[in-house]
Amino acid sequence: MRNSKVLLAGLLGASVFAMSACSQGGTADDDPSGDAGTTADAGEGSADEGETTSASAEAPAPFDEAVNIAIVQNSGQGDYFQQYLNGTRQQVEALGGELAVFDAQGDNATQASQLDQAIAASPDGIIVRHGFPDTLCPGVNKAIEQGIPVIIYDVEIQECAPEAIQTQQSDVEMASLVLDQMVEDIGSDQNVGYVNVAGIAPLDRRDAVWQDYKAENNWTELFKTGTYTNSSATDTAPMVSNALKANPDVAAIYAPYDELTKGTLSALEQNPDLEGKVKVYGADISTADIELMKAEGSPWVATGATDPNAIGAAVVRTLALHMAGELQETKVEFPPILITADFLRENDVNNMEDLRAAEPALNIADVSSADWIPSVTF
Amino acid sequence: MAGTTEDTSALDRARDVIVKYGFIAVTIVLFLYFAATEPAFATSSSLFSMLKFVSVTAILGLGVMFTMVVGGLDLSIGSVAGLAVQMAAMTMVFYNMTGATAVGVVLLAGVLVGLINAFLIVVCKIPDLLATLGMMFVIQGAKLIPVSGQSVTSGMVLRDGSEAPGRFTQGFLQIDRGFVGPIPLPVLIMLVLVIASWFFLSRTTWGRVMYAIGANPEAARLTGVRVGYYRGLAYVISGVLASVGGLILVSRIGQGDVNAGASSLLEAVAVALVGRSVLGQGKPNAWGTLLGAVLIAIVLTGLTMKGFQYYHQDTAKGAVLILALIFSYTLSRKKIRYTSAT
Repeated sequence: MRNSKVLLAGLLGASVFAMSACSQGGTADDDPSGDAGTTADAGEGSADEGETTSASAEAPAPFDEAVNIAIVQNSGQGDYFQQYLNGTRQQVEALGGELAVFDAQGDNATQASQLDQAIAASPDGIIVRHGFPDTLCPGVNKAIEQGIPVIIYDVEIQECAPEAIQTQQSDVEMASLVLDQMVEDIGSDQNVGYVNVAGIAPLDRRDAVWQDYKAENNWTELFKTGTYTNSSATDTAPMVSNALKANPDVAAIYAPYDELTKGTLSALEQNPDLEGKVKVYGADISTADIELMKAEGSPWVATGATDPNAIGAAVVRTLALHMAGELQETKVEFPPILITADFLRENDVNNMEDLRAAEPALNIADVSSADWIPSVTF
Repeated sequence: MAGTTEDTSALDRARDVIVKYGFIAVTIVLFLYFAATEPAFATSSSLFSMLKFVSVTAILGLGVMFTMVVGGLDLSIGSVAGLAVQMAAMTMVFYNMTGATAVGVVLLAGVLVGLINAFLIVVCKIPDLLATLGMMFVIQGAKLIPVSGQSVTSGMVLRDGSEAPGRFTQGFLQIDRGFVGPIPLPVLIMLVLVIASWFFLSRTTWGRVMYAIGANPEAARLTGVRVGYYRGLAYVISGVLASVGGLILVSRIGQGDVNAGASSLLEAVAVALVGRSVLGQGKPNAWGTLLGAVLIAIVLTGLTMKGFQYYHQDTAKGAVLILALIFSYTLSRKKIRYTSAT
């Protein structure tokens, strides 16, 4: 009997470790390539090393001494979020601060607890990145009550914490840029396809723009499909493929999230008779996306994008302005740019680094800037 | 406890002291270390948020502990907490019912899952680990069927195209967000459940019978104990405790969340195992489980404040567990066995 108990416990111990090793994967579906992005030291390994412009004016309080900044993030897994954190970290260091990272690994209850813990440590400022408004509002309101400056990124926080400062990339602008290009390319009175899912804040904002453009240009939406899962691209592809078989007569497809765009591309590959007939308009950018857009005969002609490194840094600058009492707005949006496949080919852009060189506007260095803030560009 | 003090050699006595108080000492030393090096660590708001953080893990740990007492293990505990999140959100958001109704529905669901587990284990004679592993998958999947895999939020569009009518009630949200005096409500719930579990296991006949079954079910059966009944009871208690943990979780999140509870199982098992080694008892016990949860909270909070990443923390959690197992199995001269409570 005793032996079997020992065996059971040993087995358990082993499985605890085996399974916690699996759970490291979190819930993100992005390719976790930049593996050093979240280590304690900035700029290590494959993370993008930014350049810092020096400040031209004396920093106001509290930046006359070292500040403690905390970031409470819903998930740190995946290329996008690692670049984001990299930008955040480098901008905090440029300001002479220290960054404490709370990573909930996609667990919302943990994120609420970690926000509590971050507040309990009374830092000089807090950044909250992604998550549910209903989960985060009590903590955000508590921080505001205690006088800790808080900046929230990509959460509709003002629904329940009206005084909070909300930031996000401008999805309206991102969609408009791409759809303007689509109008130019295909004109009005066309049959179009649409790949999107409802219920995810940034995608809903892009959807609103789509509805406007569709009505204005008299486009007929022959199908709407797509799904959001742990592998959105793979799961969306067969749905789009079926939709195309039923409605092959579309001039263009709008898929405003790069996983959905990728799914749409592979659906088109499965329908070779449509080759060259359907243009795809997407969103977001990464080195993998650049390769797809540049591929010979790729139907993906345009995308709207921001650089996660630059966004991560701009959020810190917004917080710095808020901490110094210089922020006027309660909502700050970070502008995206339009990237076309032609532009990538003409400028021989092969990865994000090339893209930043060819398009310095991606750095959004003038957003939330001040003469006393040394800003980081990538 | 008697029988362990007969040996008089100094080395053995020292070892007894280490086994008995070692784990508590480790906890205190770590606490003092973090308190001395991180000024924010030992503030009262920080301590309460730490306890609040760990309340769900501790309560689920109690559930695991009950099943360990009868010689089993409930692997479905995390998914029952996730089920509770889903049921509470659906009751309030889809069916527009009160928070109290949601609490009732969730607790009933916990009892029901416990009964199914008991049926599989006691009646169908499936080994505990396998039966609850199967249930874990069934619950994880089944809870998402009525919502097509979506997280339940107020105002979400239902399958028939209409909007969900209800929302989380303020009263319900107080389960996690409320206070009694300076003490957060979930911390109080945790303490009450720890005391109740301790009392039940150590001070009632039922509890002692459960320990006896864990030590030797055959002997217990021969003395006329209805072994199946008590083993089933342990799984029902486990299901209810998991539901209580789930109620705190969903009130913390403030909406439905398909992933909630998924990560809770391993931590719950870990704290229950750590709990076994406390005070050299070598058997699952409520206070030990609480201490295990608190120790993990101290380690995680301290490491976070020191700027360590979650993967360091996972490593630290594993090391804590190994240390506990060393106290239980390696250092202890007492044979590991389940005896009736002292």
